[in-house]
Amino acid sequence: MALNRRSFMELAAATTALTAIGVGTARAQDADTLRMGIAANNPRHSDPNLTTQGSDNWATEQIYEQLVRPDDGRFALTPDEYLPTLATEWTQSEDARTWTFKLREGVQFHRGYGEMTSEDVVFSYERAIKEGTNRTILSNIDSVVANGPYEITLTLKQPDVNLLGTSIFNNNTSIVSKKAYEEIGAEAFATDAVGTGPYELVEFNPESGTRMKRHEDYWGEKAKIANVECVYIADTTARTLALLSGDVDIIEAVRAPGWIDSILQRDPTLQIDMTTPGSFNTLHVNLTRAPFDNLLVRQALMHAIDRPAVAAALAPMGGTMAGLQPDFFPAGFKIEDLPEELQYPYDPEKARELLAEAGYPDGISFDSLCSQREDYASTMLIVQEQLRLAGFNMNLQIIDHTAYHADNRSDKNTLAMHSSSYPPIPTQIYFQQLASASEVKSDGSGGGNYSHYGVAMPGIDELLAQALEATDYEVYLDLCKQIELQVLRDLPLIGLSTLGFTAVRRAQIDLGYPVESGYARWRFHRATKTV
Amino acid sequence: MARYLLLRLGDAIPTLFLVLTLVFIAMRILPGDPALAALGDGALPEQLADFRERMGLNVPLWQQYFNFLGGVLTLDFGRSLLTNTPVLQLIGQNLPYTIELTLAAMLMGIVAGIPLGVMAATNRNKAPDGGMRIFSLIGYAIPDFFLGAILLITFALNLGWFPINGAGSDFVSRLHHLFLPALTLAFVKAAFLGRLTRTSLLEVLGKDYVRTARAKGAKENRVIYKHGLRNAMLPISTGLGLSLLSTLSGSVAVELVFNRPGIGRLLIDAIAQRDYAVIQGGVLVFAGFVVLINLLMDLVYVVVDPRVRVK
Repeated sequence: MALNRRSFMELAAATTALTAIGVGTARAQDADTLRMGIAANNPRHSDPNLTTQGSDNWATEQIYEQLVRPDDGRFALTPDEYLPTLATEWTQSEDARTWTFKLREGVQFHRGYGEMTSEDVVFSYERAIKEGTNRTILSNIDSVVANGPYEITLTLKQPDVNLLGTSIFNNNTSIVSKKAYEEIGAEAFATDAVGTGPYELVEFNPESGTRMKRHEDYWGEKAKIANVECVYIADTTARTLALLSGDVDIIEAVRAPGWIDSILQRDPTLQIDMTTPGSFNTLHVNLTRAPFDNLLVRQALMHAIDRPAVAAALAPMGGTMAGLQPDFFPAGFKIEDLPEELQYPYDPEKARELLAEAGYPDGISFDSLCSQREDYASTMLIVQEQLRLAGFNMNLQIIDHTAYHADNRSDKNTLAMHSSSYPPIPTQIYFQQLASASEVKSDGSGGGNYSHYGVAMPGIDELLAQALEATDYEVYLDLCKQIELQVLRDLPLIGLSTLGFTAVRRAQIDLGYPVESGYARWRFHRATKTV
Repeated sequence: MARYLLLRLGDAIPTLFLVLTLVFIAMRILPGDPALAALGDGALPEQLADFRERMGLNVPLWQQYFNFLGGVLTLDFGRSLLTNTPVLQLIGQNLPYTIELTLAAMLMGIVAGIPLGVMAATNRNKAPDGGMRIFSLIGYAIPDFFLGAILLITFALNLGWFPINGAGSDFVSRLHHLFLPALTLAFVKAAFLGRLTRTSLLEVLGKDYVRTARAKGAKENRVIYKHGLRNAMLPISTGLGLSLLSTLSGSVAVELVFNRPGIGRLLIDAIAQRDYAVIQGGVLVFAGFVVLINLLMDLVYVVVDPRVRVK
């Protein structure tokens, strides 16, 4: 049959109409499925022992569990706030080196892999210690031994009063099925792991994302929504549109100034969930580069940066840090509780005076690198402008994120912003960013202490070693507070602001709990959805 | 004909070799540490060293280069540094999406562009010609990613006629997901092909043999399509080849905007994370397509223009 112009037009119109009728219903309208828009291109792993892409943990958070966990939506600020999960009770020895956990009986693995026993727990820990992405922290574990089917004992090389936070509630020490690992094989297990959590993995699709369904044999209260899908949408516009159109129910937010306001203007019914503190945005001052080896210059720098203004610019995600810990963390200080000379209020005039006293009456000019990622670039551009008013001319070179980190690791930066998430275990940031053992090296073989603190000048190594060997939690906290004060005196590292992890959800989704603090992922087992 | 083809294929081998070498060098010159990108900026020195050793990044560059070339010859492109998945598998998973997008966009571009060009040429300096010129101006000026976002907001978000992201699963759903991204790319193609067709056809319609055909009393449609358009096809076929290549490269931005899987998106992620093996494999695919399309265009010349055959 010949297709003339008239019949072509008729066919086209009919096709368009049919298409329009058939597609109005977005997938997120399904009450039994919660769809989450993830800010990455593709999932990489579903094995909690291998995940290095933070976004993949939205799925692992639903699939796996540890022996203990904090309550949903928050960090456990102190060890006594952890809740029994796959362990029902635990004890620690006087010297904080021997920890015994009694396991919950009757916990079933996904897909019929049977009951969790101490054999699975020992296997999971040994695998994490040997092959996991967090081997350094777990290297303190000397042995994990089963005492019968429902009890294990961990023996540590050094005391750890924070063991529950450092090693037990840890992605790597999520409990996986030994039987499943042996049957599936190590390579396939990377994207097909088997856990005990409220959702079980149904599909790991490297192009689009992960699908999970409710674990019907879950030991606790079963998940209310039957299915969860993690859809990977790296492009911020596409992700935002996916939420606004109802294609997904929740998205990871863009952590840039003004983004929350703009999306709420588009749809005021949207709900914002945010962790406090989220990321710790710190500024490393390279002590090997003049004039920053001069304490007066560093003090001038501190007075030149209006930290509350930096936090306010990132509102509502931004928060202020008096030192290196948020004030509600156990070792944190409120600004007013600090000695007056360590409060460093914003005062550009005082900064100029200090610069003059240091021998730079006309100010100083220096180059600095910055990542192009929204949270880095927006923060550093604000800092650049504040510094300019106080006589610091910072020539900011904005480069791509991967190159930025490589340059920082090769000691190429002068003022290096760093953004990392930390639990309420203060020694983690001290070890990673301030210990002499983590000093940056020009050949890239060093660590994340970009200021050379502890090498270019005496640092906090001794206090840190004492804290890490403390057998009493209060002693540990006291030592951490001393470190905070020491750092504020020496100023190798400036706490710029915190930046909350944020997700935006449609009003139809109720998480079942408020999100207050915690890592950049939260569980959906208590969530409900109305259509 | 076979000899001609073999000669053209022979030309392709050094081109591909050169591309592979350039990509290898460019990746190593580019600042950024794949180990740091894979493990995160909190990774400790010993973890980074261990990763480099496992992934063969600690051996001298010349050795990495020969390892890479040896792998390519045996069709082993290595494994992703980030996921440990074989690169060939990643390409196999993503390539069909890029091909379907490119072909659909080309088809839509041809179906719209060539008739528009004919219409403009046969109505020179009249309203349809003016409309066509404005259309082609807009088509040239508007970037793919911007047009994509506009179409997405209008037809997917506001009207809800099309899905907002992804590529679909079954045949109908895939077509449904394909329409807007393909339309985005086709818009520019149609503008380009329309203008090219108009120019080529106008040139041919001024030739003596067209006047002769008209003088012989041939119907206008026959004059335009048999004598005019057929002879105008040589520059149009060249334009089609170029257009196909630009569609392929344009698919990168469109895949990102529409959140479609594909080689472009795979490459962008790999470049950001310095996933050397995936970048090398992905670029090889693009380079292979360029060579293949050029080869196809040479073949089209042979079909369209008998003079090439004689030479």
